Amino acid sequence: MTFVPLLFAIFAPEDDRNLAKRLQQREPSALAELYDRYGRLAYSLIYRIVHDVGVAEDLVQETFLRVWNRSQGFDAERGALGAWLLAVARNRAIDYVRSAGGKMARGALELEYAEHPALFGNFEADVLSQDRARSVRSALERLNENQRHVIELAYFEGLSQTEMAERMGQPLGTVKTWVRTALKNLRDDLAEKAITA
Amino acid sequence: MTCDELREQYERYTLGVLDADERAELDTHLRSEGDPCIDGVRRARELMATLALTAPESHPPARLRMKVMGLVGEPKTSWFGVPAWIAATVALAVIAAWLAYSRREQSRELAGARLEAQRKNVELVRLNEAFSLMNDPAAKQLVFGENAPKPRGRVFVNPRQGVLLLASNLTPAPSGKIYEMWIIPKGGAPLPAGLFQSESDGTAMYLRKGAVDVATTGAIAVTMEPEAGSQAPTTTPLIVAAL
Repeated sequence: MTFVPLLFAIFAPEDDRNLAKRLQQREPSALAELYDRYGRLAYSLIYRIVHDVGVAEDLVQETFLRVWNRSQGFDAERGALGAWLLAVARNRAIDYVRSAGGKMARGALELEYAEHPALFGNFEADVLSQDRARSVRSALERLNENQRHVIELAYFEGLSQTEMAERMGQPLGTVKTWVRTALKNLRDDLAEKAITA
Repeated sequence: MTCDELREQYERYTLGVLDADERAELDTHLRSEGDPCIDGVRRARELMATLALTAPESHPPARLRMKVMGLVGEPKTSWFGVPAWIAATVALAVIAAWLAYSRREQSRELAGARLEAQRKNVELVRLNEAFSLMNDPAAKQLVFGENAPKPRGRVFVNPRQGVLLLASNLTPAPSGKIYEMWIIPKGGAPLPAGLFQSESDGTAMYLRKGAVDVATTGAIAVTMEPEAGSQAPTTTPLIVAAL
């Protein structure tokens, strides 16, 4: 797996704060700046999920429009603008994939809640930094193949544990164990790195 | 369940893979202000945000930025972030300049083509006149310079049409000088018959139009003279063709 270099994801949080305020003041130039800052990252994430250029373009537009329309609910002082936008991007893409696959039963409301702007406050300042990306990449690489696979299925395809079990032909309990272990390893690995950094 | 027991569920909660009952229980904690689960879930959300950075890099097309800006009615911007109206103005200016340049070039080429056509037309007229003069049975042909290294050629004397000189090895006259033809009557002084210059390859075709009394003409000669020409030869003739 190759990873995003993230050259564009190293902006200081102060910049994001000002940007968020300008979005709330409905400055169109703020949307342009937001796109310049996170557009490629959002597109990369969405394309990874939908694997279709045209759909990815549509969903990127939907993502930025949604952030534009909902920026009033975002805490400009404490919120992580990039993390929020990426959550919206991921949810739009997952929602599309699930809709296209006729799997509407689980999801829409859940995704709506998961991208609520109020949930992205008090994040670490470097949550989208290159260092953080390197750490999570190396942490992912340290997982075994099954653990890494279930994380990717859940994150990039939005599959539930039951769906993963069906997809992988494994017992649900086994998949749950892989997911739980993978997430615990990731958390511990990143926490250890944060301490030693 | 206590927050400590729910700790293992934070990441699965934010990843969206918790079962409904597990999710509902954690939601209850998150609604309680000051609940330790709130901070735990926040950290889990940070982890999920970071996972987005592991997507392979893809490059969105340049048009996407314009589409996004179009969503909020902002004037569309170009690929390089330049406002569309500026880009359009610059583009129009470039097109106008190109059209003007193109038109000037076309005019220049057209003028050149016209001049070339006129020149060729004049040349063609001269050739027709020369052929007409040469093919007239009344024309008298004289050869000069046969044994000389230079210049050499022929002179056609046509009593009705004039005198035609065809020469080779006639070096172009230097700056300030020119060749002058003379019609030399028998026992008389040379009469000026016009000025001409040879080509860079040493060839020359000169036609002096007008009737010529062949019976009284003794010779046709060419001398090099000052640029304005002379009324009488000032140098030794380079060409002499006796009738």
